[in-house]
Amino acid sequence: MIELRGVSKTVLSGGQPLTILHPLDLDVPDGQCLAIIGPSGSGKSTLLGLVAGLDSPSTGRITIAGHDITSLNEDALARLRGEKIGFVFQFFHLVPSLTAIENIQVPMEIAGRRDAAARAQALLDEVGLHDRGHHYPAQLSGGEQQRIAIARALANDPPLILADEPTGNLDSSNGRHILDLLLRVRRSRGVTLVVVTHDPSVAAVADARLVLRDGRPVAEETTAHGGLT
Amino acid sequence: MKLADGVRYEHALLRGFGILVRPELLAQLGVAVGDGLTIGSQRFTIRGVIDSEPGRRLGAFSIGPRVFVDLADLQKTGLMSFGSRAMTQMLVRVPEPQLDALVAGLRKDFANAFARVRSYKATEDDIGEDFARAEDYLSLVGLVIVILGGIGVSSVTRVFVQQKMKSIAVLKCVGARSMQLLSVYVAQVAMLGLAGSLLGVGLAALAMRAIPSLLSGTTPGVDITYALTLPAVAQGLGIGLLVSLLFSLVPLLEVRHVKPSLLLRDEVRPHRTDVTQVLVTLFVVAGLVALTVWQAGSWRVGLIVAAGFAGTAVVLHVAGSLLIRAIAPLARSKSFALRHAVLQLSRPGSQMRIVLLAVGLGSFFIIGVRSLQHNLVAEFQVNVTPESPDMFLLDVQSDQVGAVRSVLARYQPSGSAPARLLPVLRARVVGVEGRELRLEDYEDVRGRGSLAREYTITYRQTLEPNERIVAGALWDATPSAAGEVSVEQSISERFRIGLGDTIRFDVFGRIVSAKVTSIRYVEWSDSRAGGFMFVFRPGLLEKAPHGFIGFLRGPDEAAARARMQADLVGVAPNVSVIDGREILSAIQSVVDNVTLAVTVVGTLVLFSGLLILVGAVAMTKFRRVYEGAIFKTLGATRQLIAAVLLLEYGLLGVLAGGIGAGGAMALTWGISRYALDMPFHPLVGLSAAGVAVTTVLVAAIGVISSWEVLQHKPLATLRAE
Repeated sequence: MIELRGVSKTVLSGGQPLTILHPLDLDVPDGQCLAIIGPSGSGKSTLLGLVAGLDSPSTGRITIAGHDITSLNEDALARLRGEKIGFVFQFFHLVPSLTAIENIQVPMEIAGRRDAAARAQALLDEVGLHDRGHHYPAQLSGGEQQRIAIARALANDPPLILADEPTGNLDSSNGRHILDLLLRVRRSRGVTLVVVTHDPSVAAVADARLVLRDGRPVAEETTAHGGLT
Repeated sequence: MKLADGVRYEHALLRGFGILVRPELLAQLGVAVGDGLTIGSQRFTIRGVIDSEPGRRLGAFSIGPRVFVDLADLQKTGLMSFGSRAMTQMLVRVPEPQLDALVAGLRKDFANAFARVRSYKATEDDIGEDFARAEDYLSLVGLVIVILGGIGVSSVTRVFVQQKMKSIAVLKCVGARSMQLLSVYVAQVAMLGLAGSLLGVGLAALAMRAIPSLLSGTTPGVDITYALTLPAVAQGLGIGLLVSLLFSLVPLLEVRHVKPSLLLRDEVRPHRTDVTQVLVTLFVVAGLVALTVWQAGSWRVGLIVAAGFAGTAVVLHVAGSLLIRAIAPLARSKSFALRHAVLQLSRPGSQMRIVLLAVGLGSFFIIGVRSLQHNLVAEFQVNVTPESPDMFLLDVQSDQVGAVRSVLARYQPSGSAPARLLPVLRARVVGVEGRELRLEDYEDVRGRGSLAREYTITYRQTLEPNERIVAGALWDATPSAAGEVSVEQSISERFRIGLGDTIRFDVFGRIVSAKVTSIRYVEWSDSRAGGFMFVFRPGLLEKAPHGFIGFLRGPDEAAARARMQADLVGVAPNVSVIDGREILSAIQSVVDNVTLAVTVVGTLVLFSGLLILVGAVAMTKFRRVYEGAIFKTLGATRQLIAAVLLLEYGLLGVLAGGIGAGGAMALTWGISRYALDMPFHPLVGLSAAGVAVTTVLVAAIGVISSWEVLQHKPLATLRAE
């Protein structure tokens, strides 16, 4: 599903080049759950952003579901994301002026799906918020907002879900629920899931772990659930 | 009084039958300074040429060139004998504070006499009235610009505080108190306001320098010095500073609500009534009202204008909310761009409402000012068609008609209508026997005010092109000695003189009775063929001693016009020839200058409106950048985001323009009708253009200022949030 070859990211910081991600190779097979762990500033979120095409790498090549995304322009990347990738952020990033159900509808409307409203309601039920659809994000708790964000990520049935510290902004009980939800979704739909996390319990349930420190992989582990190639 | 060739005016010049003359007289009669001139039966010597006279209006003209003689010598000309028609003017210098009271008192004392009292501030004549209108208009517009600028300041301050949120939180983390931060930002605003006002004063100084060269030669006989006065500079700086502070205070109060915890997590501030904010808002409102009162120079006008502004804002806001509600169903559209554009506008608490109000107010004032300007300029407009008469003859005697006609025929340009000579008589109303009005004698008539004035009357068989009958019927072509008169509509309405009533006139001492057989509407703005309050049926007045006035199209060539005038003097020396072209060009130059001033002011309003627009659009920028990033993450292409932005701002523009144009129409109507006292012309084209321009500008500025939404990679934006 995901193939990275020599992918690095260098930015200018105070006029000086700063490499936040050193050249990295990575393969994530279809259906795997990969946890990316490491301390703050280790390049985890940068890596996830590159995989989602939200940012472009300084070197290397990224292939998602057989598409080399490094050669795609902004718009083609956006289309690919709409079709293949669901993204869950630490800070939810729901559109504040849209209600919960409208937020879930957005990716489907962008893709031009006619059943957006009905499907959004089904997704709302799936994440257990069937009666909160007409609330605005500001009227929802953090855990509820994140559930809406997950429902939104599932809207177009993407084969790949990327989650950037999805429990990082939640208390442990809410975090647990979100994690359960993500894992359940992954199992029921057979999607590939990449989770950036600090949380050891998240890492524990993943098929594979990638540990980053200062922008370099320090360990790649495969657990009993699956395998890293 | 200024004399030509640097000669100083002194009364001695007039002693011993000296006269001072206008330069036109020298040209007309072919004489020079030092030559003799006989006036009446007295021989005078030309001692000087008048360059300019104090108190003469811009564009003023008189019948024939003016000549100054000693008042004592006037008696010796023999012109001032029994039966002469003369007018005496007394010029009095009065201490300024007593002026208005004196004018009012004299007017009351002479209410029933034929004396007119006017001060230099008089607005009785049309041009004076036009200037007074222009002045009212300019001070109104000045206020509008100040308020528009204030709205811009307010929006920009809002954005400024939003941008500074993180810095404020950091400063609070390290111990800064709200009041300290507030004073820092207030001081910043004050400095910016002062700097902006200084820039304004600098621009004004440059403009003042440019004005004389732009207007040189357009104000003959009037010396105007253009200079920045110290009070004006102080006032400009004061207003600039005051407006910046007043309008930025409320948005700056937001500083107090920034919590250091913002650095740790996003928190939505619970909506609570903020007593301080309410108090400060009240203080700001009071300050603005005081400013308006100061600028208007009167409590009454100031309060009315301030209430007008507030009312306008409320009305525009309500109109905006209604319009937004009206377009809300469009959110069900299948088009993503249209649906989300409408959702953005119609959401409760949307910042777009404030933008709508600000831009709506801006377009309201701009369209309002422009349509007022059109109405004002239209009032000034002098329509000259190639066929319309441009020369006028006064005082042609009955026995001179033939000779005058033959001279005129020789000079008549081919294709133009022959000269028309209209009989004119002077008459007073000395009695009315009507159903509603009964006036026994002249004393009764005098009790009716202006009905007692002397009227110029005529007789003819037909209507002029600028007349139509509104009641009764005009007589047929046959003359009748029975006495019939057609009365102008406003006279008939004001004095309730109706069909069938009989009016008695005193025509040169003879009493003539005439029955009202028709009421006429006269289009006075097109009265160059003569406008008469009373027109008689031919057959009654022909025998009375009377003269004629002539309307004709003169030759185009200046030399031919001069030859024709000379020939006319040859056959009828008493006839005065008025060259309409000179009058028209004098009026035209005044009109041009007023139009220039109005246009300059209108352009200034337009610029301040643009500033509001930029400030208002900037207010929504953070939200747009953020949402753009989210939409991109969810698969939206730049094209799609651009389409949402274009539709969102386009819709906003249409709504704001529509509100503005509607309000402007109402404003222009109200001001034309009640404040400036002139007819209202609805300017549909201008309003439509206003809506279109607002839409295009708002859409363009919205999309251009959102360019980085389209260009930026989404990750950086989302991480910064």
